[in-house]
Amino acid sequence: MATVTNWIDHLSAEEVVGAVYPGAGSMETTLVIIGVVLWLGWHVLTAKSESDELDRLSRKRHGPNDHKSNVTEW
Amino acid sequence: MTDQLGALTTIFTEFYYWVTVVLMFLIHVGFCMYEVGASRYKHHQHTLMKNTMLIPLVTVTWFFFGWWIYWAFPTGPGIAPSIMNESTALITDESTFSAKWYLANTEYMAINLGDHISGVFWAAFLLFSWTAASIVSGAIIERITTFAFGILAIAIGSVFWTIDAAWGWHFDGWMLKILGYHDAYASGVIHAIAGGFALGVLCVLGPRIGKFSSSGEPRNIGPRNPWLVTVGLFLIYTGFWGFYAACNIPIFDLGPEYGMEGVTYWTATNIYVTPTTLSGITFNFLMSLSGGLLAGYWIAKGDPFWTYSSGLAGVICASAGNDLYHPIQAMIIGMIGVVIAYKLHYWVERKFKIDDAVGAVAVHGYAGFVGLVICGFVLNGYPSSGYSVGAMWDGTTYASINPLGQFLGAIIMFGVLGMLPGYVIAKVLHGMGKLRIPRDVEIAGLDYEMMESAKKDERAVSSATR
Repeated sequence: MATVTNWIDHLSAEEVVGAVYPGAGSMETTLVIIGVVLWLGWHVLTAKSESDELDRLSRKRHGPNDHKSNVTEW
Repeated sequence: MTDQLGALTTIFTEFYYWVTVVLMFLIHVGFCMYEVGASRYKHHQHTLMKNTMLIPLVTVTWFFFGWWIYWAFPTGPGIAPSIMNESTALITDESTFSAKWYLANTEYMAINLGDHISGVFWAAFLLFSWTAASIVSGAIIERITTFAFGILAIAIGSVFWTIDAAWGWHFDGWMLKILGYHDAYASGVIHAIAGGFALGVLCVLGPRIGKFSSSGEPRNIGPRNPWLVTVGLFLIYTGFWGFYAACNIPIFDLGPEYGMEGVTYWTATNIYVTPTTLSGITFNFLMSLSGGLLAGYWIAKGDPFWTYSSGLAGVICASAGNDLYHPIQAMIIGMIGVVIAYKLHYWVERKFKIDDAVGAVAVHGYAGFVGLVICGFVLNGYPSSGYSVGAMWDGTTYASINPLGQFLGAIIMFGVLGMLPGYVIAKVLHGMGKLRIPRDVEIAGLDYEMMESAKKDERAVSSATR
C-alpha cells in the first residue's frame, strides 16, 4: 500500500512524483465510490430516524408551553 | 520547487489562503450562534444541529462534484467560448484550468507534493459554499426538517452557487465576456443568490405558527438571546475579513499574464485577475460596514438586531465594486443598500406573508441585488476582466462593466440561479411530504423529546445539595 518507501530515493528521482498518499494511482476511484455510498447512506439513515422522531412527537400533541415543564433550572 | 524565491511565493500563497479559511470558519460559528440566539428555546438544539450539519454535507459534495462544476461551467455551456480552448462546451479537456484535474478521483484532489494550491483554494471556495447554505438556514428556522434542509444546502452550496461562480467569477466566465459582469467580493455571486434561494424556499415553506395574526398582520418574533445574536454577528464580521482576502490572489505578475512584453508588474489582484490591493479593500470594507451601521441605526431607530445586520448589509451592498470604489463611495453605497433592504423586507413580509426569521433575504438578497445594480453605474466603463485588454477568440474583447449588464447579472443571480431553484426544489420536497415538520411538533418544540429525556437527571442535579 505504501506509495513511498524511501524519501531520499523519492525526492532525488529525475521526476518527483507528487501523489504520496496510500494507494496513489490505483485506489482513487474506489475511494470516491465508497465516499458517495457513505454520503447517500447517511441521508437514508437520518431521514428515517428523523421521520420516526417527528411522527412520535406529533402523536403526543403537546401544547405550546408544555416544554417548560422540562426546564428544571432557569 | 527548486528555487527559493519561487518556493517562497508559492508557500506564501498557500499559507495566505489557508489563513483565509481559518478566518472564514468564524463566519459559520457566527451563523450558528446567531441562529440559536434568534430561535425560541424549544427549538434551540435542532436549530443548531441543522446549521452544523451543512458543514459535512456541503464539504463532501463539494469534494465529489461542486469544485468540478466551477471549473467545467464557465462557458455556460453553450453561451460563450472559453479563452483557453475556444470551445463553448464544458471545459473538460487538457486545458491548464480544466475541470478534468478537479474530478474527485484525480491526484490533485489529495496531498500532492507538486501542487500547493489546489487544496487551500478548494477550501476557500468551500467556505463560501458554507456561507451560501448558512444564509438560507437562518431564514427557515423552527419549521423545516433537517432532511429537507440538507438537500437544499447541498443544492445551493455545491451546485447553484458554484454554477454562478463559474459564470460570473471565473476569469473565463461567460457573464464577464457578454454582460461585463463585475462582482469582486460577491454581492451577487454569494449573497444575492443565497437570499433569492431562501426566498424561493420560504414561498413554499410558509411562515412559523403565530407569525401572522388571523387578519394577516405580521407579529414580531424577536431574538430570544440578543447577546448571542450580537456575538454571532460580530463573528460574521470577523470572518468576513477572511472572505474578502480569499477573493483576492495575493501576489501575481500581470505583465506576462496580460501579454505585455518586457513588463513586470507584481500586485495583488481580485478574483478576475485585475489589480487591486489588500490595503485598498480594507478601506472599503470598513467604510461600507460603517455606512451600513450608520444607516441601520437610523432607519431601525437603534434596534440592535437590525443595526448589526445592517453593518453586514452595508458591506454586502458595496462588495461588488469594493476593489475599485473610493471609501466614501463604499460608505454611501452601503447606506443606500441598507435603506432599500430594510424597507423591502417589511414590504414583502406584509404583502406576501413571507416569514424570513432573521432577515436573510433582505440583508443578503436585496442588498446584494442593489449592490450589483449600483456597481454598474459607478464602475460603468471599467474593464470587467484582466483579459479584456487583449484580443479574444473572434477579435472582440470582454464587455466593459455597464448598468444593463449588472442589472441582468443581478436577475440571474437572485432570480434564475437563486429563487427559481429554491422554489422548485422546495416544491418537490413539499410534494414528498418532507419539507416541513408536522404542526404538532412545531407547537411542542423540536427539542421536546431531548429535553424530556434529560429532565430526570436535570431535576436531580438542580436540587442536589452535595
